[in-house]
Amino acid sequence: MDWIKQFDWPLLICYLLLSIIGLTAIYSATQGPVAEFLPTYIQGNFRNQLSWVFLSIILLIAIQFTAPSTFQQVSYLFYAVCLIIAILTIFIGAEAGGARGWFVIGGLRIQISEMMKLATVLAVANYLTSRRNVSAEKFRPALTVVLLMLIPAVVITLQNDTGTALVIIALIPVMLFWSGLPHGISLFMISPALVGYFTILNWKWGIITAIILSFVLFLVHRRPGLPLSSFVVGLLIVIGVQVALFQVLQPHQQNRIEAFVNPNIDPQGAGWNVIQAKTAIGSGGMFGKGFMQGTQTQLRFLPEQWTDFIFCVIGEEFGFMGAGTVLLLLAFMMLRLLSNAADHKHPFAQLVMVGVAAIFFLHVFINIGSATGLMPVIGLPLPLLSYGGSSFMACSMMIAVCLNLHLYRRQFSIYA
Amino acid sequence: MPARQENKQKKVVSIRVLQGIVVVLFLIFFARLAQLQIIDYETYGPLSQQNSLIEQHVQPARGLILDRKGNLLVDNQPIYSITITPANFQREKIPLLAKLTGITQQEITERVQVAQRYSWQQSSRLLTDVNFNVFSSIQENIWRLPGINHQIESKRNYPTDLYASHMLGYLREINESEYKSASGYQLGDKAGRIGLENIYEQDLRGENGARYLRINAYGQRLGPYDNNRLDEAPVKGSDIHTTLDTDLQTLAEKLMVNKIGGLVVMDPRDGGILSIVSSPQFDVSKLSGRLDRDYWIEINSDTTNPLFNRAISTRQPPGSTIKPMMGLIALEMGIIKPEDEITCNGGYLRGRLYKCTDDHGQQNLEQAIINSCNTYFYRIMDLMMEKKGLDNWHDMATEFGLGRHNHIDLPYETSGILPDSSYYNRVFGERLWGIGDLISVGIGQGSFSASPLQMAITTSVIANNGSRVRPQIVKSIEHADGSSSINQPELNKISWLDNQSLELVQKGMRRVITEGSGRFYANLSDIEVAGKTGTAQNPHGEDHGWFIAYAPFDEPEIAIAVLIENAGYGSISAAPIASLILEQYFTGEIERQWILDYVLNFEPRNTLPAVEEEL
Repeated sequence: MDWIKQFDWPLLICYLLLSIIGLTAIYSATQGPVAEFLPTYIQGNFRNQLSWVFLSIILLIAIQFTAPSTFQQVSYLFYAVCLIIAILTIFIGAEAGGARGWFVIGGLRIQISEMMKLATVLAVANYLTSRRNVSAEKFRPALTVVLLMLIPAVVITLQNDTGTALVIIALIPVMLFWSGLPHGISLFMISPALVGYFTILNWKWGIITAIILSFVLFLVHRRPGLPLSSFVVGLLIVIGVQVALFQVLQPHQQNRIEAFVNPNIDPQGAGWNVIQAKTAIGSGGMFGKGFMQGTQTQLRFLPEQWTDFIFCVIGEEFGFMGAGTVLLLLAFMMLRLLSNAADHKHPFAQLVMVGVAAIFFLHVFINIGSATGLMPVIGLPLPLLSYGGSSFMACSMMIAVCLNLHLYRRQFSIYA
Repeated sequence: MPARQENKQKKVVSIRVLQGIVVVLFLIFFARLAQLQIIDYETYGPLSQQNSLIEQHVQPARGLILDRKGNLLVDNQPIYSITITPANFQREKIPLLAKLTGITQQEITERVQVAQRYSWQQSSRLLTDVNFNVFSSIQENIWRLPGINHQIESKRNYPTDLYASHMLGYLREINESEYKSASGYQLGDKAGRIGLENIYEQDLRGENGARYLRINAYGQRLGPYDNNRLDEAPVKGSDIHTTLDTDLQTLAEKLMVNKIGGLVVMDPRDGGILSIVSSPQFDVSKLSGRLDRDYWIEINSDTTNPLFNRAISTRQPPGSTIKPMMGLIALEMGIIKPEDEITCNGGYLRGRLYKCTDDHGQQNLEQAIINSCNTYFYRIMDLMMEKKGLDNWHDMATEFGLGRHNHIDLPYETSGILPDSSYYNRVFGERLWGIGDLISVGIGQGSFSASPLQMAITTSVIANNGSRVRPQIVKSIEHADGSSSINQPELNKISWLDNQSLELVQKGMRRVITEGSGRFYANLSDIEVAGKTGTAQNPHGEDHGWFIAYAPFDEPEIAIAVLIENAGYGSISAAPIASLILEQYFTGEIERQWILDYVLNFEPRNTLPAVEEEL
């Protein structure tokens, strides 16, 4: 019974707790008093999610009986299949929520972009670790890695699922960073995002951020070329974002960003989501209003409260205690994945775990950032908590793979 | 191996960096949660409450107005109103709203703008008194119309056939300045504008209640909040019992149709107003509920000014109707004695000739009252001015209710003009006036002016043997809790009036009816009436007809003053109206049908019937 000792029980418990909290919140958001204002197909969400959770747990258990090397072996195939399906769904897929990314197998509607995240992580991890000479420090492998991730990102963008595409693109610096790209370059790669974020808030802050980043880059890199180009890029980003905000973006996108910066300009329109989300969380107070007692939730003031704004439901009904617990569980999960990665000797497993942690991290960052009004609203599910079968299943599979790699870390490390 | 070692070292650094980023991010999230849920809880808690709660004002039932027998004059009737909260309203919904209400888009747009100017956040009435079909179609579509609400309110209803418009008054929505100055009013609330509705606003209106309802994000009402525990019940307005005699008022209004003027009937014993009419009237029921704009414009632009209260606000020269009072003052001043005679040769010479209507010959006071001899009163005015002065005379006349407010419970009461030296100094300039301006005041002309109410009071002073009574329409107010407050009559005995003088003047007034100018129309067979006619010259047109009277002669119950503008002689215009009212009061019916027909078909003219010669 060695496996009992080897198995990462805390991670599994964390996973199960989050699933239960998610189910509870979905129940409240769709089956509570609010139900009378919801269309019937949404009232069925809880039952759907429950079956997805059972299915996912069975899948998770099944995956534990797989040899870890299998993931390496099937990674390219999995990647290719997902990519082909993704391309096909652009033309023949079912549509939901404005995105065309669903395909149907035997009555199950699966959103391929969710699977694509795992497939991409596995494929990139396999590519970077299967041969000795491949290192992200070299140009060709680095370019291959970028392409491996950029292609699914583009395909998913074509499916209109910009949020997921954004996550995959944001994964690029993380994967490269882990697999040997100098820290300076990684920082250089994420600096546009940081500069852009602050520019949206205020262009002066954008410039200050660019200056600070260049300085940090100089400290890390010790050569003037990169910091200088970082500063130039930063300035270009500030100008670009300003131009984009006022010239390029569609009015509704401009409104969204405007609403994020100052929700009270248009409280009934674009600012509505931000104001209602913050009101829901804020009015929860320390202990919350109680299960199915949240007025914002039950009286339908929150948009998409079973998916993108599920965190508001938790914040309103369970207060700081509930929302804080969720934050702790999520933080624990990520830190656990990262420390498991550090403990692991096999670079493939390390890379997969880091990739999974990064995906979780990006989802949490964007979802909770949107819900608490720290960033513009971008529709992304909160892993394991939001309603959505594909999302839940994909997250479960990622956790399952990580649990598996951790469980067999001794056997697996031999190949290293 | 060093490469491997270095590689491993680098991995550790990488993991620490990633873990650091995770920790930092989660700390930021924790801080944000704490900020929203703990620090800003005070902000967001009430915000979510406001989101899901609305406070509805519950209008109390406005107090009723009843006549002296307890019959309803004014009660309430439910109406349906559509309200708007501009902040939640979407302009794109204007066409839908127009379709549902059957009102043009332009008018709705205008009304929305008016509501916006009042307040963006508070609801105000968009449409008042809509019919039930419109109300129910709005109700059905309320979920498509954010910011639109409906409520059931009440409007004033007038169950009798009376107008009594100037007395009852009407309600209008309070304007912005009133909203800011008065407490307890919501925008769109109504308040009494004129009449009793205005004077007794505080009693009639009651206290607003409040009801809290839960709503969802679509503004749909989900029922009471917290089992109605927070709700406050409205307090019903107090009922007002007036002294109005509906039968008398009905007749008086009928008699005043097509005439311009005012009429006041009061009980000289307690000041209770039995009837008060200002003609032309307007229809208060058309000003109740939704304002009939055309009608409002019509009565405002009417040259006869129906909104003007001619019973209490008009100032007209009282003419000969003041002669009984003049006699009383002259007797008190000792200027004349009852038996003193003055010779009338058709006028009085003092600087110029002041004309009389006839060559009356030798006249004592009683005869002068009966014949309405101007010469006699020019003379005694001249003597009073010479011996006692204008201001003494003014002060004594004031006690008859002239030149002063008599505090009837209606707004816009005039004090009339009872000239004294300061008045003349102001109008003509000091030392720029003299006896020439005063002689004609002695017969109620010149600067002298009074309202029908004032003349009714003067009459009741004589009828009352010298007590001036405060006129009042409301005798008691019945509060919602069952208690009531009573308006006590106020009587002021004029100390200097002695009974002998009064008897003399009263007898003169009685004989005006039996043998003087009142004999044609005002002499009732069963009831002894005393009175005095008046024909006031008026620089703007035909003479105004006046008539004052009281009855029964021995124990007066009723005093009356009638003014008909531009109708010529008081004896043929005002006197018949007063006499019909007296007949109705004492017998309960009108038997002198020919007088009734005469009054109803009255045409103003300035010639007397062939048989008559008087003023």
